[in-house]
Order: sequence, then structure tokens, then C-alpha cells
Amino acid sequence: MIQRILILTGYFVKNVFFSLTGLILLILSLAFWAILFPPGQGTPDIENYIILIGALGAAATFMTTLATCARAARMEHYPMLVRLPSRVEYLTAVFLSSLVLGLFMQLLVAGLALIRGPELSVSHLLMIPPIWLSIDLLAVILAMHATDLVTAGWSRVILFGLLALALVLNSASSSPESWFPERLDDLAELFSRVNLMWFSDLAYSASSWAYDSPLSGLTRFAGILFWPFRAMTDAVLAGGFTPSQALAPAVVMLYGAILFLIAATLFAGKDLEFLE
Amino acid sequence: MIEFSQVSKKYYSLTALQDINLTIPRGEVVGLLGPNGAGKTTLIKLIAGIINPTSGEVRATSEGTWPSIGYKPERLIFPGNLITSQYLGMIAGLCNVGREQKDNAVLESLARVNLLAAANKQIKTLSKGMRQRLGLAQAIIGDPDLLLLDEPSSGLDPEGQDEIQTFLEELRIAGKTILMSTHQLPEVTKVCTYLIILKDGKVLYQNPMAEALTLRPHVAIQVDRPLDGAKQLLMMVHNDITVDGNEVILRDEAIGMRRQVLSILINQGFDIVRVEQRRVTLAEIYAEAIQ
Repeated sequence: MIQRILILTGYFVKNVFFSLTGLILLILSLAFWAILFPPGQGTPDIENYIILIGALGAAATFMTTLATCARAARMEHYPMLVRLPSRVEYLTAVFLSSLVLGLFMQLLVAGLALIRGPELSVSHLLMIPPIWLSIDLLAVILAMHATDLVTAGWSRVILFGLLALALVLNSASSSPESWFPERLDDLAELFSRVNLMWFSDLAYSASSWAYDSPLSGLTRFAGILFWPFRAMTDAVLAGGFTPSQALAPAVVMLYGAILFLIAATLFAGKDLEFLE
Repeated sequence: MIEFSQVSKKYYSLTALQDINLTIPRGEVVGLLGPNGAGKTTLIKLIAGIINPTSGEVRATSEGTWPSIGYKPERLIFPGNLITSQYLGMIAGLCNVGREQKDNAVLESLARVNLLAAANKQIKTLSKGMRQRLGLAQAIIGDPDLLLLDEPSSGLDPEGQDEIQTFLEELRIAGKTILMSTHQLPEVTKVCTYLIILKDGKVLYQNPMAEALTLRPHVAIQVDRPLDGAKQLLMMVHNDITVDGNEVILRDEAIGMRRQVLSILINQGFDIVRVEQRRVTLAEIYAEAIQ
């Protein structure tokens, strides 16, 4: 199994890297470096270095995954796919090749940004891999769900809809009891200004209901869901992990594992109508 | 080897296969015939695991496990930038051919399809005929239990078709199980040992080839000129008598009336050129099934 996955991974890495898409992604990564880490200016801020290159890694892996999935969903790969005992091996190879390509772009920029850049201490060097790797891994799997290779029916609409909802709820998690009622009060105010009194009354009623509703519980839940990302940012800004913050990358990887299981289930059960 | 149990496949409102029950027997070369849109490619893709049935089950028969599969799709698209031997080496690796045996497996498969000369060429530089042969080479590499060949000789010149037929005959002699869809009836007659005819997503016919071709013996009486004048008279003798040009065909019960038919023909002034006993041809089986 490992031999088959490695063969396919190598094939996809070469296929994407030595293509126009690969070249464009490389140029974009270098442009990112030239704009945000100009060697003439220098980047003494280590926190910025970790966060910005972490964000680049997520973006790069997302883009390489889109490119790899588009290539993997071509008809020329039917004979290869048929030879595999399980379709999950194919998906794993797509996952690994996207991760390898994204990491390559990230490490390239990370290396270049050290030119007249920050000096990395041992504690920083120990902190960087779990943060970058966990975020990249999650970005790969989210991107897979966005592609035709994995998506089945309404799966991507549902997944990204839930993600958007969770992000909205997360933004309310700092004041879970009052965030929704305040938004509804704003809405009621807006309706009353344009003389839509019936809608305004409705929004006021909804606002009073929202104070005691389960929505505050949902916002708290969303806050917990996004805790690992806040914890990692806090750790970077503080210069090291506290024992509880050290769990954050593992939790992000757990999210990735769950999403990969969903992706594998969708991919294993769908019709693979690849394109030319 | 593989059986279909009440298998249906729908693409939105289009029913590609409907309640299919059939068996692909081990060691047979199965010819899959049918007009365009009959469901041949869908059936092959179901076995290849590329698509899933809407209902029913495709499974290994009770005596065996799910076979390893080599697949040559109808539309041959390859990663054009790869070298032929590189591509085959990769396929060999995917079917667990060891590093040491890989080169031999690649050369052997190229030799079997007469493509050794293209071993070091980029795939995108190969001609259509060479690509067809590469399609077959990648399907046979690693010695899979079952070969799925979707129109193996389509788009080839007669010489290329002959080469493919010879190659398929070699595979049949070697005892390989093959399922091939084709529109070439002579190819099926020459190569296949089992016949399946599909139309509108339904199995119209499935039988061993030998059995199919011994079906419905008939007697043909050929005379010296067209039988237009005597047609009505002959057809009144029995319902199973048909007249085609200068030939009278007697089927089933009508075969016993050949003396009576001969005497009518002689009395009408026809000279008998030939009387022969025939079997049904594949073209006749196919035409009858799809009508």
C-alpha cells in the first residue's frame, strides 16, 4: 500500500510542479516574499515571521491542493485508479502531494525571509513545525472538500456553509449573551427608520427572545471550536506554548483527521466521472 | 468470476442499465455487443469500480475473491509528458511488481503488443495505433486476473485490427479472463468464447459462443435466378420458409419439408445450384437480438 501511495504521490508532485500552475504558484510565493519580507528592509519581528509564513503556508497548500485535485480528476488516471485495491489510497496520494508542494513553497519563502530577517531561537524552532504543519494539513483537507474530486452532491455547500456559520458564531463568542440581541436591535432600528414597523416589531421580539435563547450556547460552542487557532496565535505572540496551548496543534490535526475521514467516505462512494 | 445481481445504473433521469443479471465466467473471453448507448461502457466502468450501481450488486462469484483488474478505456488519454516505459513502470509499481522485476515486466508488456520501438519515446509523440497498443500494454502489465477492454481495436486500420485480434487470441489461449466491448463482429467471432448482447440497458442475450453459433440450424437452397415469381407459393408451404433473392431458407420445422420445396422449385423451372445445411451467424444473432 505504501509503495502505491508513494508512487502516486511522486507522480502528482512532478505533474503539478513541472506545469504552468506550478510555475504560477512558485511565482506567487516569491512575490509574497518580495512584498512582505523585502530583503532590503529586513524583518526583525519573529511573531510576524511565524504568523505571515504560516498564513502563506495555508494559502499555498490550499492552492496546490486545488491544482493537484484538478489534475487527479482527469480521465488519463482511470487505468491507475483501477489498479488500486482502495480508492482511499488515491486520495491519500493526492493529499500527500498537495501537502509536499505547499510545504515546499512555504519553506522556500521561510528560508528566503531569513535573509536579513529575524534570528530564530531554539524555542521558536521547536514551536514552528507543529503550528505550520497542522494549519497546512487542515488547509489541504478543506481545499479537497472544495474540489470536484471529493465533493458529492451538496457536500461542499454544506461543509463551507457550516464553516461560515461557525465563523459568524465565533465572532459573537466574545459576548455570547448580547451579540445576537444587539444585532437584532440594530436590525429593528433599521426597519423602523424606513417605516417598516411590522418588521421592526418582529426584530425587537426576536431580540428579546435571543437574550434567553440557546444561541448563546451555540456561540460559546463556536468559540471552543476555534480555540486552537486563538491559542496558537497567543502562543506565538507570547513566545512559547503554555501546557494547554501546546494541545492546540493536535486539536487542529484532529479536525483535519475528521475532515479527511469525511472526504474519504465521500470519495469512496461517488461516481468518478473524470474529465479530459 | 464476477456476477451482476439486479444491477441498475441511472444518470439523473437516464437509465443506463436496468435490472441486469449476468455472470462473467472465469477463463472466458466475453464479447460485449450492443448498439451505441446500450450500456456497454457503463457495465465495464461498474466492474472497474469507477462508478457505483444505483441499485443491485456487482460482486465476485461464490468461488472466488474480487479479481485484480487491468483496464483499457474507450478513450485513450495518457499523461503525455511521460516516457512510455516510465508510464508502464509506474503502472507496474501500482500492481505491486517488485523493483527488480519492473523493467522485465515493462519490456515484456511492450513486446507483447509490438511496441518495443516506442519504449523510450514520449507518449505524446505516439501515433493513434501505438497509443491503442500502449493502452493494451498498460492493461496487461502485472498479469491482472481480469482484463476490461473497451473497444480495443476502434479507430485502427485493418492491419492494426488484425494485430489486436492476434494479440487477443494469444491471451485467450493463455486462459485469461477478458471482457471486451466492441462493434466488430468478426473480431468477436474470432476471439470471444462467450457472448453478451445489450440494448437500452438490458441484457438481451448471454450464452457461450459455441452454443450461440450452433443454435438454429437451417437449410439454404440456392437456385439459378431470383425467386420473386415463386415467393408466394413457397411461403404458403410453411411459415418458417423465407425467400431472399435466389435463396430459400428453411428453418426449424420447415427443414423437414425440403423435398416438397425442391419439387416445387423444379416444377417451376428453377435449376438447383446448391443445397446446404447452415448454422446461425453472429450477425444474425445480433440483428435478431437488437430488433
